Amino acid sequence: MRGIMKRRAGYGVVVAVAAVLALTAAGCGGAAKSGVAGAQKTIVVHKNVKGSVSFFGVWTGTEQTIFGKVIAGFNKQYPNVKVKYFPEGDNLNTVLATRITAGNPPDVADIAQPGYVKQLAQQHHLKPITYAKSTISKYFAPQWLKLGSVGNKLYALVYKASNKSTLWYSVPDFKTAGIKAPTTWSQLIKDANTLKASGTPAWSLCGSSGWTLTDLFENIYLRLYGPAKYDALTAHKIKWTDSSVTKALTYMKQIIGDPSNIYGGTSGALQTAYPTCVDYVYSNPSKAAMIPEADFVSSEILQNTKAKPGTGFNVVPFPAITKGPDSTAVEIAGDLLVTFRDTPAIEAFIKYLATPQAAEIWVKKGGFGTGNKGVPAKDYPDAITRATEAPIGTAKAVVFDMSDEQPAAFGSTTGQGEWGLFQKLLQDPSNIKGIEQQLEAAAEAAYKK
Amino acid sequence: MSNLGITAEPPVAAAPPPPEGGERKYLTGGLFLLPALVLLSVWLLYPTVYTIIRSFFGPSGYLGSWVGIDNYKTLFTTSALVTAIKNNAIWVAVVPAFVTAIGLIFAVLTERVRWAVAFKTVVFLPMAISAFATGVTWRIMYQQDPGMGAINALGRVVSDAVSTPGVLPSALPSTSALQPHGGGLILKTPLHPGGVALLGLTGIAPDAMPKGSVQAVRPSAKPGQIEGVVWRDFKPGGGKPGVVEQGEIGIPGVTVELHDSTGKVVQSTTTAADGDFDFKNVAAGSYQAGIGAQTFAKPFGGYSWLGPSLITPALLIAYIWIWAGFAMVVIGAGLAAMPRDVLEAARTDGASEWQVFRRVTVPLLAPVLSVVFITMIINVLKVFDIVIALAPDSSQANANVLALAMWRTAFTAFDFGTGAAIAVFIFLLVIPVLALNIRRFRREV
Amino acid sequence: MTAAAATTEVVHIPDPADALSARLVRALAKTPLQILLMAVGLLWLVPTIGLFITSIMPATALTNEGWWKVFAHPSIATFANYSALFHNGGLTGALKTTAYIAVGNTVLVVVVGALAGYAFAWLDFPGRDWIFLGVIALLVVPLQMALIPMFKFYDLTGLSGTVLSIILFHAAFGLPFAIFLLRNFFVGIPKDILESARIDGAKEGWIFLRLILPLGLPAIASLAIFQFLWTWNDLIVSLTFGVQPITVWIFGQLREFASSIDIIAPASFISLVVPLAVFFAFQRYFVQGLLAGSVK
Repeated sequence: MRGIMKRRAGYGVVVAVAAVLALTAAGCGGAAKSGVAGAQKTIVVHKNVKGSVSFFGVWTGTEQTIFGKVIAGFNKQYPNVKVKYFPEGDNLNTVLATRITAGNPPDVADIAQPGYVKQLAQQHHLKPITYAKSTISKYFAPQWLKLGSVGNKLYALVYKASNKSTLWYSVPDFKTAGIKAPTTWSQLIKDANTLKASGTPAWSLCGSSGWTLTDLFENIYLRLYGPAKYDALTAHKIKWTDSSVTKALTYMKQIIGDPSNIYGGTSGALQTAYPTCVDYVYSNPSKAAMIPEADFVSSEILQNTKAKPGTGFNVVPFPAITKGPDSTAVEIAGDLLVTFRDTPAIEAFIKYLATPQAAEIWVKKGGFGTGNKGVPAKDYPDAITRATEAPIGTAKAVVFDMSDEQPAAFGSTTGQGEWGLFQKLLQDPSNIKGIEQQLEAAAEAAYKK
Repeated sequence: MSNLGITAEPPVAAAPPPPEGGERKYLTGGLFLLPALVLLSVWLLYPTVYTIIRSFFGPSGYLGSWVGIDNYKTLFTTSALVTAIKNNAIWVAVVPAFVTAIGLIFAVLTERVRWAVAFKTVVFLPMAISAFATGVTWRIMYQQDPGMGAINALGRVVSDAVSTPGVLPSALPSTSALQPHGGGLILKTPLHPGGVALLGLTGIAPDAMPKGSVQAVRPSAKPGQIEGVVWRDFKPGGGKPGVVEQGEIGIPGVTVELHDSTGKVVQSTTTAADGDFDFKNVAAGSYQAGIGAQTFAKPFGGYSWLGPSLITPALLIAYIWIWAGFAMVVIGAGLAAMPRDVLEAARTDGASEWQVFRRVTVPLLAPVLSVVFITMIINVLKVFDIVIALAPDSSQANANVLALAMWRTAFTAFDFGTGAAIAVFIFLLVIPVLALNIRRFRREV
Repeated sequence: MTAAAATTEVVHIPDPADALSARLVRALAKTPLQILLMAVGLLWLVPTIGLFITSIMPATALTNEGWWKVFAHPSIATFANYSALFHNGGLTGALKTTAYIAVGNTVLVVVVGALAGYAFAWLDFPGRDWIFLGVIALLVVPLQMALIPMFKFYDLTGLSGTVLSIILFHAAFGLPFAIFLLRNFFVGIPKDILESARIDGAKEGWIFLRLILPLGLPAIASLAIFQFLWTWNDLIVSLTFGVQPITVWIFGQLREFASSIDIIAPASFISLVVPLAVFFAFQRYFVQGLLAGSVK
């Protein structure tokens, strides 16, 4: 026994980050902290965890570089675990499906659709990440555990999230129209009419990207009926022909039903794909005044337009429709990290990503939202980013993007299901009843499989 | 020998005299063929067999669970797939013929032109650009907005030369007192001499206002005249519609018409810098004032090339633009290697150039032409990259083609069984193509 | 017919005036044709010019207006997009990988395809024409369907993630077209040449190397151009099998939520330089008249 302890103690390593020394006896699990007073970081280093982790992700370009820093942060604690990151971008699902079907999936993958995670878990491809449960419970509100669970087992860590309940607008257009950013729905519609009268169409819609239309519907439904009913519709416990859906679509018609107030009219909007609709709002001269889309709109603005924060562009939360707590509920989309194998290296990696340190590295660079309560608000690099990202962690009610939670054939396939039918609705906003019936038929077919 | 009776025979692949003994020649043939057969069996034949078997099984897993012909039933009843089949038929009917013909014409005509290489390079370039980049390029070119899409920009130039757009193409009435009338607007309230007409408009951006416009003023009534003002009825915050307020600007250069009680236009005038207009010497009676349609004439709005009805023609044009270079190069190779003596013989026998072309060159080129034609048919059955890159999502359902439906079903909707069934259907479509050409092969044997 | 005359050592230098189209061209009026061709060429070039101008404009300008507006204020043109790509590490490594893949599989396709094409054209064995039809039929196999079974195969054989796996994949998929083209081309070689060679006792191997290949050079050249081109621009195969040629590298630079036209446009132009060079290099093999006079 003594020999083993000696060997394990021999693995301890002294690491200095800011003149702090730490020793670890990994087998015993505890970390000895050096007693230097003041604000010091304690880095626990585990040298005995060896192995490699292959990670298929969507992040490319700058985001890949930033995630590289996150991996570097991980390697400070686990220097002997090699993480290989593969940027797959849009093709992630294709490559992942190929490798899963062929029997050789990666160790970890980033999946955007909880519906797909559920499918994989039910087909026994995924390994539960129960070992990370305590870490996640420590830093995340309980709903985040629920989002990553299938049945009673925890399978996914929601590492990165986007706030979809935001509304972006053009500051100069609002100034010309003499209006303030809206906080309620009635104010929003009034503002939209004022904008039209001032000479700029109020709305820029990416009708070609069906998911933007579903996002709009989902925000309206969430604001009208709250998270519980939202979840029920997601699980198809409420039918799409229900009166609640009709009401939400009627609200939506107040936006999409006036082609003269949409840039490009109906046909132009239908041919516009994301992120071109963002460009229309922030071009010079501005072609439209508002775009109801998620927090990542800012990355397109900053990358491809000349609009500046505050003077050119600004953002408000999606306007409230009813009073009460539902008016601050947040709809998110996110990156769910799932595992296909279970090794000490993988466990270490997942547990690290659930800690605030892993989130903070990216938060400071901007363009990153998380439910991790351990991330202080001051870490966000600027006011606008804080306004859109902080609510993800602090909102009392968080729901996931409905179309991502549903079976893929209904919720996230081009030209059919929700995406295709909402485009049909944009084409003919008066046909609410007809579209509802088609939605219900498609949902039924998808949920039956 | 009758010169006009000379027609070149398509080359006959007659079996040459056997080199040495029966089995030896089979062995030689086998050896020459072996590397190809190995590669083809492992990489093409095995996946084909796997796909055929897979099409009778369920949506997920390497093999999945048996479902019989369910997947095929889905194939023929889902409207998305029926559209795909229809679209592929259009592609097959149009593209191979156009591509082969254009390639042949280019190959022949450029053979002797001094700058042939430059021209060939220009036509070949599209093949060198990746299909994804080509799709993106044409998508930008096809944009409906004439300010952003090259093709519609050209349309706007032509259209503006023919008919000038109005001064206020996007204006809207500020109150319901102004009603649409024959393309323009008319103030419904009847006017009498000494009346004042207020024609307030909204929907005009400040920088779209004509130059030299100034603060609007509500004119005072004058006997025997009808006064009025046309102005931008908006100030920050909205203001009161129908009332001329401080901060609201008049619109100069608008043609206002005075209609008498029968609807006939009796006077017309143009507004001044502050939007003021007046009709002098108005006889007693009831009148209406309105703004003519030409003020609101919209500029060319652009065709919806990327919209559901034009998307397939738009794709066909882009595809032919890419692949004509392929046909031109391959047919050019065929032309380069043609034996000239048969042509010489025909010419010395007195045949004209056109006759030589039609009756000697084209038949001699037939094998190469058929390679191009059949390859294009099969390429078009498999077309994928350009449809996904060029067609916006809203038109994807209308532009759908089989290979795309297969990929979506398998990799986006995660139903590999039905995806495999679509692939098998594509396999089967090639059989008629080959059957039509069996006659040719038979003749050669 | 003597053996000497049966060889292609006697190459007839074509008299330009003999060229088929020379006569056609003279038959039609010459100038309108030249003008027509020039007009067609210019029109054909417009989208490519558009792409090039897009690549030298800053992204913020492109979201505002169409690319032809650059002619109104040419000072905004910049090569910043190109230099940004080059400063990104990994471009040269990816280019090397692409070169290995493209050259490797093209050579393999040409060699294997020529051997098979000759067999189908001039050798005899049972079922030859039916097998040939079968090979053409394989043209229709969409490569997406081969991804899964091939991935499993590569896993089992340990080829996963290697350049060789990609080379073999592309070569196999290029073979049906190669065999189709070369066989149909070889079939046009006058049978007398082969007959005399055989009568003189030449072995098939010699006929293949000394007669067929030289005569088939235009077809082989065009096959090489296209096979090189198609594999140079492939994305999905390399992405699935975990290899990083330039297409995958470019793909890894695209942004998730913002438009990346300032990457796509210059990258397409950098990427097309090499296939264009290959085109020029092989163009000179399209020399007419190699067969003229060789049978006299």
